[in-house]
Amino acid sequence: MVKEFSLRINGKSYKVRAFEDEPLLWVIRERLRLTGTKFGCGMGVCGACTVLVDRKTTRSCLLPVKDAVGKEITTVEGIPSNHPLKKAWIEHQVPQCGYCQTGQLMEAYALLLENPKPTRQQIVERLSSHLCRCGTYNRIIRAVEAVSRGGKA
Amino acid sequence: MITRRDILKLGGLTLSVMLMPDGYRILKAQEVPKRYAPNLWLNLSRDNYLTVFVNKSEMGQGVYTGLPMIVAEELDFPWERVRVRPAPAGKPYVDPKMGIQLTGGSTSVRNMYETLRLVGASMREMLVSSASKSLGVPREKISAKGGYIRVGEKSYAYGEFVDLAMKEPIPSKPRLKEEREFVYIGKSLPRLDVPEKVEGKALFGIDVFEEGMVYAVVERPPYFGAKPMKVQVEEAKKLPEVVDIFPISTGVAVCAQSFWACQKARERLRVEWSESFVKGWDDGDFERYFMQKLREKGDVVKVLGSPQRSFEESPIKIEEVYIQPYLYHATMEPMTCLAWVKKDECVVYAPTQSQTWTLEVAKRISGLPESRIKVITTYLGGGFGRKANVEFVAEALEISKRLGKPVKLIYTREDDIKSGYFRPYSATLLRVGADKEGNLKTLSFKIAVQPLLGGRASVEGVENIPYSIPNLYVERVDVELPVSSWFWRSVGSTHNAFSVETIIDRVAHASKKDPVELRLSLLRENPVARRVVQTAAERAGWGKPKMGEAMGIAYHFSFGSHVCHVAEVSLDKKTGQIKVHRVVTVIDVGPVVVHPDLIRSQVEGSVAMGLSMALKEQVKFKGGGVENTNFHTYGLLTADEMPQVEVHILTSKRPMGGVGEPALPPTAPAVANALLWGYGIKVNRLPMTPEYIKTLL
Repeated sequence: MVKEFSLRINGKSYKVRAFEDEPLLWVIRERLRLTGTKFGCGMGVCGACTVLVDRKTTRSCLLPVKDAVGKEITTVEGIPSNHPLKKAWIEHQVPQCGYCQTGQLMEAYALLLENPKPTRQQIVERLSSHLCRCGTYNRIIRAVEAVSRGGKA
Repeated sequence: MITRRDILKLGGLTLSVMLMPDGYRILKAQEVPKRYAPNLWLNLSRDNYLTVFVNKSEMGQGVYTGLPMIVAEELDFPWERVRVRPAPAGKPYVDPKMGIQLTGGSTSVRNMYETLRLVGASMREMLVSSASKSLGVPREKISAKGGYIRVGEKSYAYGEFVDLAMKEPIPSKPRLKEEREFVYIGKSLPRLDVPEKVEGKALFGIDVFEEGMVYAVVERPPYFGAKPMKVQVEEAKKLPEVVDIFPISTGVAVCAQSFWACQKARERLRVEWSESFVKGWDDGDFERYFMQKLREKGDVVKVLGSPQRSFEESPIKIEEVYIQPYLYHATMEPMTCLAWVKKDECVVYAPTQSQTWTLEVAKRISGLPESRIKVITTYLGGGFGRKANVEFVAEALEISKRLGKPVKLIYTREDDIKSGYFRPYSATLLRVGADKEGNLKTLSFKIAVQPLLGGRASVEGVENIPYSIPNLYVERVDVELPVSSWFWRSVGSTHNAFSVETIIDRVAHASKKDPVELRLSLLRENPVARRVVQTAAERAGWGKPKMGEAMGIAYHFSFGSHVCHVAEVSLDKKTGQIKVHRVVTVIDVGPVVVHPDLIRSQVEGSVAMGLSMALKEQVKFKGGGVENTNFHTYGLLTADEMPQVEVHILTSKRPMGGVGEPALPPTAPAVANALLWGYGIKVNRLPMTPEYIKTLL
């Protein structure tokens, strides 16, 4: 039941032993210690664990590790510090406690990959699948809007 | 605990604050008497970096910015060279006004402001004195600004003088800046915690690892008040990576080399639980129980005038019963802790709001003295009061002690909801009497609720209501139940602001009086509060909704601050769905605005949490346990439901007010009042779900 898996995360190769049905989240954050990806609910509702798998947003708490093999996984650690989204997040002083923010940022990152100039409505719709208990929603939206207007993502 | 050796290793100028019988005293860390533990507050290094050790927990409210900023202000030091570190746990770091180390009650800036200014100013004076001596220039010719000592055209980094400054005596009365000299206070400096949070590098409780650690989850009882009686572990123990399974005080601990193995093992666990008083209780049973308690005699907390007679003689009489549910904190980071009880040492990494209480449980469970216990406070992925409760720390300690290994305990979301410590359920009976013109003469308030803070929280915001009401009656009935209750952001004011502020509007409605006018007249003896209400009405364009169909207003005083919200609301009568478009809010925080953007973000967040509570949140019960299991059945406000929030900050000459909580309580009543005026709906329960609203239409 515990087997070795080869994963590709942020352009690097990892070998890790895990249960076949173990969600990618726990493998990434606890076994590989890339802790920017957070546990929030374990059922794909809150979005804190959002990563990109082959450029698509994925709730890593729901994806068994065996199904992530051979795919390109991107976590918040894989987004460069000078990326316009990260800069906008700082510029707009978005985070409060910060726990959900990496998931929010990954969702925004995927949205901008699909559509570099989303409208406010599109941003709100997309990010409404993420929970933030501190209530930073308006700042998140402003930050993504700023990048959307700036054009680079 | 930081040792003497750690301090010497740091080098530079290091200041301590000692709590002495006569109050706080600033000392050089090197001079702290041997019998005291050195307590580091401030370190200025030779290469001109300032490290501030913050004794409050960062849970999003911005203390890792707001508190260092106060020090940097008096020291006059460049913000980009300021570093922040969590202070250890221990007596030297207690909040001078609370006497314990606790982050709560919207007090961090209020309680630490004077102390931190003094420490910063002392260090600055010592630097000036040492510069004066070493440069041979009189003090009057030296200025200390922006991290540099300046003499005429020449400037020297503060760091150049730290070794000499260490030899200077601590000034007995350092000069504090005049308000007009402030360079930081009043400005929105960039938060020190934001960059690492954006990078995913901030260390939360769940992000801690220790060599050889074991994961643990705790299987909890299906209803409150039960203990494990019989545990069948054989099947579960057959799984790979499983280390051990055993009962602890709160449930059954499942320990393994990975979190996932813990989860798989607990599925195979069979536990029999003891009986409990509330076993079998559903929502209706709780309501019946609280209504019965509301009819019992309680403790009369306050009587002004003749409330009973004046109520009976009032031409306008309104009587209402309010029911408000248990609420779950829903911190995005669930409870989690890494604890390691060794033979002669105990280490705890915890996202805790109370280092003092964390130390206490560590002492109790490890049996070690305080000097052998090290508590490291991580970032908190949300707190809202929940993480001031340290039962989760105690569990990790208990498991670690049994295993003799470092243990990382993680609550699943389901465990987190099940674990309780909710904002308590309440039933409130309100009677108000007014004359024909709608002048409110009588307010009689009786609440049945589980008491917090010895019952003070039960009547918070009512007992000390700023309204001039000649006949006031306040009574509380303390309810005891095995369902654990605890502080939930803004505590007793969450339920009391809702009942009182909505009944105020019922009076205005019944007497056809404008609710703003009624509040202004009730606040006739409180000019600060009056101005808050008046400004909110003006800024919102009272009476003329811009985005919604109806407007509602609510005002509340809590945690030292006055807050008034005006909400613009629309209701879809077919579906019962409420949309809140815009909230205009005014907060008066007292004499000083330390960091305007931190205030704005706390107010925005309080409105979000207040709306979430108003529209969606309710802990539901089935069989005496929590029916909600995760976020799909305990919904929180989402981005598409978030209104535009406009925050206006006012100041006034009076003691400093708090910021983290006071904007939450008036949120729900502002929305409910908009429904009253716009749609004639009287809301006596929360949450205002579409199903409930439809029953009122």
